[in-house]
Amino acid sequence: MIHLVPLLIYAVALLLWIRLLLKGAEVQDPAVPAGITGLGVVLHAVALGSFWTQFGELPLVGPGAALSSLAFVGGLALVATLPLRDVGRVAIALLPVIMVMQGVALILGVRPSDQALDFQGAGFVLHVSFAFLGYQGLALAFAAGLLYLIQHHELKEKRLGRFFHFIPPLATLDTLGRVGVWGGFGALTVALLLGWAWTVEHRGSLEVYDPKVMWAVLSWFVFLGILAARGGGGRNDYRGAVAAVVGFGIVIGTYLIIRITLGGTGLFL
Amino acid sequence: MTLAVVGISHHTAPVEVRERMAFAPSEASQALMTLRHEAGVEEAVLLSTCNRTEVYLFPAERIEVVQAWEGLLEAKAGRLERRIRDYLFEQRGDGVVRHLFQVSAGLDSLVTGEAEIQGQVREAYERAVGMPVDPPLAGPVLNRLFQMALSVGGQVRSETAIGQGAASVASVAVKLARKIFGSLKGKRVIIVGAGQTGELIVQALHREGAQGVTVVNRTYERAALLARQVHGQALEMERLAEGLAGADIVLSSTAAPHPVLTREIFRRSFPSGLRRPLLVIDIAIPRDVDPALGDETGVFLYNVDDLRKIVDEQVRLREGAIPQADRIIRAQHEEFRTWYASQQVVPVIRAMRDRAEEFRHLELDRMLRGMDHLSDRDRERMEEFSRRLMNKLLHDPTSRLRKGIRQGGGPKLVEAARFLYGMEGSETSDPGVGDTRPSDGRTNDTAD
Repeated sequence: MIHLVPLLIYAVALLLWIRLLLKGAEVQDPAVPAGITGLGVVLHAVALGSFWTQFGELPLVGPGAALSSLAFVGGLALVATLPLRDVGRVAIALLPVIMVMQGVALILGVRPSDQALDFQGAGFVLHVSFAFLGYQGLALAFAAGLLYLIQHHELKEKRLGRFFHFIPPLATLDTLGRVGVWGGFGALTVALLLGWAWTVEHRGSLEVYDPKVMWAVLSWFVFLGILAARGGGGRNDYRGAVAAVVGFGIVIGTYLIIRITLGGTGLFL
Repeated sequence: MTLAVVGISHHTAPVEVRERMAFAPSEASQALMTLRHEAGVEEAVLLSTCNRTEVYLFPAERIEVVQAWEGLLEAKAGRLERRIRDYLFEQRGDGVVRHLFQVSAGLDSLVTGEAEIQGQVREAYERAVGMPVDPPLAGPVLNRLFQMALSVGGQVRSETAIGQGAASVASVAVKLARKIFGSLKGKRVIIVGAGQTGELIVQALHREGAQGVTVVNRTYERAALLARQVHGQALEMERLAEGLAGADIVLSSTAAPHPVLTREIFRRSFPSGLRRPLLVIDIAIPRDVDPALGDETGVFLYNVDDLRKIVDEQVRLREGAIPQADRIIRAQHEEFRTWYASQQVVPVIRAMRDRAEEFRHLELDRMLRGMDHLSDRDRERMEEFSRRLMNKLLHDPTSRLRKGIRQGGGPKLVEAARFLYGMEGSETSDPGVGDTRPSDGRTNDTAD
């Protein structure tokens, strides 16, 4: 039940952001939706903290607990954007992603894993934390990219409507997307190295055919693709936005395929 | 006592008349001094903008006050085609309150909801407050009226869509630029053709932080002239491609009969394609920019029709907020009426008490005159008794009068109290507030 509360608060926050969008007003004060979003993240932290104290393990192992933690990291990334002028409006694209993660976590059950004893130590915790940061960096780049493409479309079509007023400027979204991609890429790289070191130390060799390893490596290449799109000549901001949206789709799509075809409680996500 | 506003506005006078009656700040101060010293005005605030010059007066019963103001306007305007009275409007009583609230909220402006007027109303009020005269020109009534007007203006803007959206070509251009570039600090602007609208847009962009303005014109001297005004540099038309290469924002407003900015020039400026967005605003007729340029990735091309369409949409959006703004104004108007009536009730209550006190003394003296046997102590007791009786008899009517005013009883209640206590002819009488009387045949320009 305690894990349902943040989901409900996120839903309220999303509705408030949508209300702000529908108002179509030029001067909009996002203080209330931003505050409710922050409250959701705080309650999410409380829920995960209670999991830790109740079961004596970090909620990082087992699909439900890990997904909830991943959603929480997304919430943290979102909270970091809230104090920045206009930037917090990416919440309208990022909150649904966070809510889906938390919703799936609740369906799968946020419960302790019988494998938890195998996955302990600072190296493992850091590996998972960096991996979560990496994926949320990608989610942030996706949200910024999606809003960039909508705003770009509005400007090209010469429509100064609700989306035009609500969505932050193209330059702001481009910067946010760049921060998300570079931050996420760095974090995922560190996570992969830590995971490799941890596996070699505890299992003797790297399990390259483990679906989650393959998924992580694929995600790393997706990052590389987005960075390549952002480099080079021409309109790299537009290409970067498209690449972030497509890349996020590939990562999520691959995850779903892995869950459906190889699903089981043994998977982390 | 009456409230009045007399002046000209964009409803009653064309720009060539308005500009001749516009008062600079120092002239406005001088005019206020003249009204005080020569016409004996008690309270006055002079509001002068490019769209209106009007003076708020309290009290304004005496015709000499209005005549003095008309004289000042006449002297300022000089010789006009028509009589000055043909351009004037006058409002009295309630109409003044409503008019000022509408002005402050931007409902009476040429561009509905424009924000500048709020600051101009504040300046006018502060000027009157700061005048070195005693009693102050912004006395109790105008002080309260203007403070409420400023508060109404703020409330209307924050609670309705009246001031939202960009309602001029220059503000649309700035808005577009901000939605593309975020901050305009350091953004480079190139203006092709030295037209007046283009100049206005450049100045608006410059205020937002845009720098490095390059002016390109067929006549180099004209380009250099405008470039000096906006602290930019001038280029010959032949070097347009060179200037374009470094620009973030392009403004085109030449009188050329054919496109000046073609795809070929664009490709010459950006041989390997655009690396950043480019906002192109073409306000020329016929168009200066090849429409095909809008298909280029990263080019956001807006012509004069696009901009006009956006402005019209924004104005429609603002006009849709007028009923909501009107509701706020009506509520605040009622609050001012109540406040004003409460000011009127104080002298009435004082008069009631004075009269009762007078009767008490009279009757007490008459009674005690034939009762010499009473001791001082007994006399004090009778004095005390009469005072208590008077206070008890007055307590209910006075407290109910105050309560009635608080509940919106207004001037009618005050009048009723005056009637009951036989004070109709007293100097507290006030036919002004609560009574709208357009003056004899003059134009009444407000949107009431």
